[in-house]
Amino acid sequence: MHYSRAHIWFVGPAVLLMFIILIFPILLAGGISFTNYNLGNSSFEWIGLENYEKMFSRKTYIKMIWATATYVLIVVPFSVVIGLCAAMLLNSLRFGADIYKTIFFLPVMATLLAMAIAWEFTLHPTMGLVNSFLANGCGGIREFILGFHWLPWVNSNESWYHIACENNNDFPFWLKDRGYAIWTVCFIGVWQAFGFNMVLYLAGLTSIPRELYHAAEMDGAKSTWEQFKLVTWPMLGPTTLFVITITTIRSFQVFDTIEVLTKGGPSKSTYVMMYAIFEKGIQQNLTAIAAAITVVFIIFVILLTFFQRYVIEKRVHY
Amino acid sequence: MGTIKLQNINKSFGKTEVLNDLNLEIEDGEFLTLVGPSGCGKSTLLRIIAGLEQQTSGDVFIDDKNVNKTRASERDLAMVFQSYALYPHLTVRRNLETPLRLRDYSSLERFPILGNLFPNKKNKTKKIHDLVQKTSETLKITELLDRKPGQLSGGQRQRAALGRAMVREPVAFLMDEPLSNLDAALRVHMRSELSELHANLKTTFIYVTHDQAEALTMSTRMAVMIDGKLLQLDTPQQVYDNPLSLAVAQFVGSPKINTIKGSTNSDGTIKFLNLELQRKTSITNTDIIIGIRPEHLEISKDHSNNSIEGVVSYRENLGSDMFFHIEIGGDNKKLIARGAPQLTSSISIGSKVFVTRLKGEALLFDQNGSRIKFTSDN
Repeated sequence: MHYSRAHIWFVGPAVLLMFIILIFPILLAGGISFTNYNLGNSSFEWIGLENYEKMFSRKTYIKMIWATATYVLIVVPFSVVIGLCAAMLLNSLRFGADIYKTIFFLPVMATLLAMAIAWEFTLHPTMGLVNSFLANGCGGIREFILGFHWLPWVNSNESWYHIACENNNDFPFWLKDRGYAIWTVCFIGVWQAFGFNMVLYLAGLTSIPRELYHAAEMDGAKSTWEQFKLVTWPMLGPTTLFVITITTIRSFQVFDTIEVLTKGGPSKSTYVMMYAIFEKGIQQNLTAIAAAITVVFIIFVILLTFFQRYVIEKRVHY
Repeated sequence: MGTIKLQNINKSFGKTEVLNDLNLEIEDGEFLTLVGPSGCGKSTLLRIIAGLEQQTSGDVFIDDKNVNKTRASERDLAMVFQSYALYPHLTVRRNLETPLRLRDYSSLERFPILGNLFPNKKNKTKKIHDLVQKTSETLKITELLDRKPGQLSGGQRQRAALGRAMVREPVAFLMDEPLSNLDAALRVHMRSELSELHANLKTTFIYVTHDQAEALTMSTRMAVMIDGKLLQLDTPQQVYDNPLSLAVAQFVGSPKINTIKGSTNSDGTIKFLNLELQRKTSITNTDIIIGIRPEHLEISKDHSNNSIEGVVSYRENLGSDMFFHIEIGGDNKKLIARGAPQLTSSISIGSKVFVTRLKGEALLFDQNGSRIKFTSDN
């Protein structure tokens, strides 16, 4: 019996490449994470799980996980929901949709680095656009709206806006304040990510057959909300799954905004994983600990992918 | 009750006029077919009745009530779509339940979990369940109830879509080419089932199709529409035997009616080719068009009086019938004649034949395509 070996030649190159550029580096990182190797050292020792122990006990790394989790848990839901809303709004526009599409998609197309620098200027504590806008609004309509004076239970003399105005324009230091920095970075993350989600949702919306809406209307779904529940949302299931997965992975990978705007600070409040890997591995030459963070990072992403693949996919496809 | 009245309906999309001053009265319990070639505006008309499309001008009355301003969901009509439009993420049972749930439950009762606290909900749920059960038994889809539309065949989906329309007992059923996605055998079978269903439900059916066979077999009355105009509204037999215009005559009937150019002389005698009709018409000295259906022509190999000579260019064998395409030369070019296969099996392509017509079966039309009557004394 003669067996053809042609199949080896067909899959061989791909398998080989995958091993060289994908699997081997991951295994290498996994191996290094169990040593005390630093870049430039001529030798290393096996130290077992010490790097991982550090990660889950030292304050810096706890803060890292906290910052990453906050970023992911804020950016993913907000950018998905805002992306969906924007897509549905644009879908209902008769004209002008293309202009808005371009505007919303601009942050995705532009270099995040350049955008981050623009944000840095905008959010500068004293010269920035945001704080001068707030300072100029003291006592005016801006204070009324942004200070929530229109809510019946807010005392207009005790609103945050009013107090800041009283104290010589003491508005938040956005990126320089420990209490604000991570939320500001999240805001920029949402601003940057929702345009991409919007485009994916726009594609998803156009693939919903119009007859389904007509059927829903004939069946008595009167309000837009009922039609959304009955047709739009379920039909967008596969899109939503994809959008959530992509956004989550991209949020785990956030790096450039942090590098430009906060460098992980103040006091490690924006010290996200990717930035930690960069700081430890590249700037401080602590290769082993960076490898350990990388392994944890990969495990997160793989878990997420499996969750998507086996748990959710069964529910959204029909 | 289920009467629907359309008055002076106009519809245009931008500059394109789709419906042109259309009037139509649909009686209670009628099976009315809107039939016409594609693009004639029949689907648009149906969607105007449904309320999914707004007419440019004119009035729609359902049970003598003007519904111009009433939304589709409040007109109490049910529609079966060409693509079925079943909700792909819901089981057939949920698909059938949807119209009932949306109408019977209040918006609070439809709230997840909390909605179950309402005392009335249990009764309503039971009622909905029973109605779905009853409908699915009528349509013989009980065993499909827990499947999703993606797991059904075309015919089963068609039934499910029909079921979703039926559960609610609406004023009228609107059907937009519901059989056009089925294979030929199933389509013929579903025709009889739909007719049976109509006989049992006794509800008004408005059925849109481009297939004249469906219109002829199922409807109590058919409305022939061409280019946005309603050309004729009558029983299928009347439309076939007695078309009011050439366009209707050409659309209804398969194969198409033969048209031959002819003329009348000063006393109304009709002449065409080398023949002369026995009956006369009151219209004199003008060119006319004579229409003869293929089954009213006889074909033979032998020459006889009043026969047209031609050469067979194509034979269509349908088993029960044989249609011959015969080149007769001149302006008229081609005739189609029906023959019984047993008698005409010896006639092959290329052979010379003689066509005679059955007496009294010709239809006359003037140059604009309007029907001309024979003078009655002949």
